[in-house]
Amino acid sequence: MLSLLRSPKPTFKHMLIGDWLTIIFSVMLTVYLFQTLWSHEHASKVQIRIGDKVYAAYDLNQQRDIKVHGAIGDAVIHISQGKVRFSKSPCHNQYCVHQGWLTRSGQAAICLPNQISLELIGEQKPYDSLNY
Amino acid sequence: MRKWPISLIAIAIFAMAIAGISALKQEPLYHTQSYVFGTLVDISIYGEPEERAKQLANQVLQDFQNLHNQLHAWKPASSNQPSELGTLNTAFANGNKPINISPQLATMLIDATDLSVKSQGLFNPAIGHLVSSWGFQRDEFTAVNIDDAKIQALVKANPRMTDIVVKDNTAYSTNPNVKLDLGGYAKGYALDKAAEYLRNQQVKNALVNIGGNIIALGQHGNQPWRVGIQHPRKPAAIAALDLADGWAVGTSGDYQRYFTLNGKRYCHIIDPNSGYPVQHTQSVTVLIPPQKNAGVLSDVASKPIFIAVAEDKARTAAMLDIQYFMVIDQQSNIVVSNALAQKLEWLDPEVKKNSHVKLVTLP
Repeated sequence: MLSLLRSPKPTFKHMLIGDWLTIIFSVMLTVYLFQTLWSHEHASKVQIRIGDKVYAAYDLNQQRDIKVHGAIGDAVIHISQGKVRFSKSPCHNQYCVHQGWLTRSGQAAICLPNQISLELIGEQKPYDSLNY
Repeated sequence: MRKWPISLIAIAIFAMAIAGISALKQEPLYHTQSYVFGTLVDISIYGEPEERAKQLANQVLQDFQNLHNQLHAWKPASSNQPSELGTLNTAFANGNKPINISPQLATMLIDATDLSVKSQGLFNPAIGHLVSSWGFQRDEFTAVNIDDAKIQALVKANPRMTDIVVKDNTAYSTNPNVKLDLGGYAKGYALDKAAEYLRNQQVKNALVNIGGNIIALGQHGNQPWRVGIQHPRKPAAIAALDLADGWAVGTSGDYQRYFTLNGKRYCHIIDPNSGYPVQHTQSVTVLIPPQKNAGVLSDVASKPIFIAVAEDKARTAAMLDIQYFMVIDQQSNIVVSNALAQKLEWLDPEVKKNSHVKLVTLP
């Protein structure tokens, strides 16, 4: 090990094209696998839809309030370290606020009167559509 | 020829494998959500070019909007013109003179009457007056003053689908107390129409969800479409199942339209025999095998099972030829038919551990 550190030059000199490719490729593979396979047991993002448009997606690992303007008024969506909820809504029944925290991938909260929906997105969608 | 080093070959194979995985991830799936029918409509189309998928989905949404305007129980189609259903309800209330209706509405009325008879009146779209006196014919629900005498009178007036006479695209009612509310039928009908339209357009794979009633065409790539079933008291799915080509699924719940008064929940599903909202059940899910009116059945069939008391639920399902059903009662106990149990994958941690809830599988 010490000898390698003292004289790196001969080592690099003896490396062939295949060795270089192997190193480059290994790095790429590591980055790729890290991105794809890194376990997302908990959701990583919340997707907010207003009407028929995707409004935005926010990372869940933060603490913030997002004010969004829906069909009947302003709603506040609260993100707090891995979970998200409707914290204020102009709708009458407040079903969306009562839904509480969403934490796992695939969970959703919908405010029909204000036409805003929240959906937690992870790497894997547990289902294509929700029967409710 | 120079021999290729083994490392290069290995790298080439790896690179191809990764390129393959990446290509698979880019699937030809078009997904859109919209608010029509006073609810959320969610359409997925698989395997069509995006432009075409978008056009098809927009057409389906447009058809839903038209149907919604035609069948709305309390909103006029435009400022000075009531919906077709509104006009018919006015005519019913004003006597028994036949008025013209569209062939489409005539077909719906005949079909809804058949289903109402089959459910021994538990599915009863003629009780619009009861529904509105409970305040559910509004966009938002507030607690109403419960007028027992009025409810008794409305039940006694006995409005039934069989009071309606449909002939040669005209209709009248022999009972002026009939007021149609197709809230438990129209979404299912719209699903069947959407499936028919997409099939006629040679769409092989699609998943259409109107306010929780879902129908599947084909599948999602090389796997079946997968749907989650909403937990009636949590913002999550309680279970998931595969929905094969032509199958439909529907749930009636006490959690989408309700108000609370003195700590009691009053949901929009009303027992026509008592005139009161049902309070013993949280949700009923039915799964319908492929057939011509699978969408309608997914909407209609859950209601009579919801309304029937616990000991009558299985019999009520059998009456409607429903083999696949699940009931979640007010204590969150789950009763599921054996046929459906075999298709469900439980997602809820409490159900998985079988704690807090009782899971009963019917033979």
